[in-house]
Amino acid sequence: MKTKFILYSLVGLLAITILSFANLSSKTTISSLTNDELANLSVQEVLIELKDEKPIHYIHKENADSVRMGYELVHFGQLKNKSNKRISKFFVCTDCHNQVKEVRNLSIETADERLRYGIKHQIPFLPASTFYGLYNKRHWYNGDYYKKYGDLVLPTRDTLINAIQLCAVQCSQGRPMQTWELRAVLHYLRSIDYKIKDLSLTPQELEYIKLHLGTSSPKTIKMIKSKYAETNPATFGDPYISISDDAVGNIENGKYIFEKGCLHCHQLGKNITAFEFDAESLTFSFLEKKLKKHSNYSVPYIVRKGTYATSGKRQYMPQYPLEKMNKQQLIDLIFYIKSKSK
Amino acid sequence: MKLTLTTVLVILGLTTFSQEKIWNTFEGTRVLNNHSTEMLYKHNLEIIIAHKFGDIAGSNGGFDNFFGFDNLADVRFGFEYGATTNFDIGLGRNKGVNQQTQVIDGYAKYRFIQQEKNGKPINLTFVSSMAFVGRKASTDSTSIAYYKEPLERLIFTNQILVSRKMNQRLSLQINVGYHHRNLVTYNDVNGMIFTGGVIRYRVTQTFGLITEYNHVWNRVKATGQKNPLSVGFELITGGHNFTIVLSNGRGINENLFLSNTYSDWLKGQWRIGFSINRRFKL
Repeated sequence: MKTKFILYSLVGLLAITILSFANLSSKTTISSLTNDELANLSVQEVLIELKDEKPIHYIHKENADSVRMGYELVHFGQLKNKSNKRISKFFVCTDCHNQVKEVRNLSIETADERLRYGIKHQIPFLPASTFYGLYNKRHWYNGDYYKKYGDLVLPTRDTLINAIQLCAVQCSQGRPMQTWELRAVLHYLRSIDYKIKDLSLTPQELEYIKLHLGTSSPKTIKMIKSKYAETNPATFGDPYISISDDAVGNIENGKYIFEKGCLHCHQLGKNITAFEFDAESLTFSFLEKKLKKHSNYSVPYIVRKGTYATSGKRQYMPQYPLEKMNKQQLIDLIFYIKSKSK
Repeated sequence: MKLTLTTVLVILGLTTFSQEKIWNTFEGTRVLNNHSTEMLYKHNLEIIIAHKFGDIAGSNGGFDNFFGFDNLADVRFGFEYGATTNFDIGLGRNKGVNQQTQVIDGYAKYRFIQQEKNGKPINLTFVSSMAFVGRKASTDSTSIAYYKEPLERLIFTNQILVSRKMNQRLSLQINVGYHHRNLVTYNDVNGMIFTGGVIRYRVTQTFGLITEYNHVWNRVKATGQKNPLSVGFELITGGHNFTIVLSNGRGINENLFLSNTYSDWLKGQWRIGFSINRRFKL
């Protein structure tokens, strides 16, 4: 009787062990996913399933607590319980970076698409790239950012963690972030990485992906990566803008850029910048006068060149690359300012 | 009584709804000499350097002392901090005027109500300030500086400020307060009740005109004291605020100019002053 009991117990334990392994092995049956289930998977995880190379910043498992801390660091500059020192006394990440998708089709991240999608969804029109999907990029501080930050950008170009650190120290003029803070921000970025549903894939393409999941498929990887930009290019424009007599600006676009771009930081009461204003006629008259003088404080100059940190005035404005505000959009903004200063 | 209660209830009721707040009723925490309803942002430090020269005209002015520029009426260095969005504290050091010199002042200021676009119609702020006269005590028993104990050196001013930004150009403020000196001369009163008014008109985004007047209701005429009247303009440069003032008041701090103004506008006893404010984020 006793022997039987031990035997049954051993069989039971063996069954539990087998079942637990069976549970683990369910990951390898990812190809049995429905289209809806696949759509909700992160792009990075699917790429790993297709045997793509893991990025340097790859996080195997998202940690909910780290995501929360990362969220707080990004939105408030420190943890909500104030157990750590503020990263910067001047800025938080959300002053310059959105946290949501900025374009409908991720493979077309042009300034025009940002504007169109931004107006539709009333998204802030900011000079820096959105954090949504930043985890999926492979290069940061690209193109002309070298002109602004010099060699400082080199270690950031292929390492996200270095890019975050440069942003903390240079862009926000804050302190270097600690390792746990960087990891928390990475976890947060992972939580807002691209999902398969963001890629505008056809049902056939979804089936194609499902077919190759769990196998090494460079072709499928290439197809997926063609659906979004792995790099956000940055081209600095000319601050001296010439507007021909027959040029026409779109006042509505200009209004959106002013309200969701300029006022995002410069609105009275926001305490982000020393130069605050509102959407009243005195403000527009002031800005129009600066336009006429073509001074360093004219709108085109500030948009294209930004400002620089100086002794006693460390906070500065980043410029809008052409990929974030193109020439026509700048003209739209100028036309709006002129129309309101009358 | 019923009307007062109703008014208070209406104002308190309005505070329960979150509306778009109105900012920059005034450019700085001071109008010209006195406080404004404006507060510092949280974690912001403001350094104020204010200066008043001697009389432009009259018996102490004119070309001999280059219209007052050779003399110094008062100077104040102030360090003020926004502890929260609605609570400021400050500390200053004044040269002082007349016999009340080497003055250290401090204040606490709380904003109860902030004007809103479609809500609360006014800003309401309370300021309590105190000054300590640090000079060596006078040996003249008739002097206001004949201090026998430290408490006699204290001066207090408590006031309620109410303002409204009428539009982008025009801001108005009235203030009511009580000013108390622990030691006064035999013919003076310790406590003074005062009312003031301010008009600010922004001509451009960076230039504004300001008038400030404070009236003491129970002033003893025999003391020869006058009510301080100031006119001036402000230049706003983003982070800086530069104010030029013409005033018959010699003192810069409210604990000094309310009861220590003896100059008469009509006799040319008015002077140029300026203040430079610079804000820092901490």
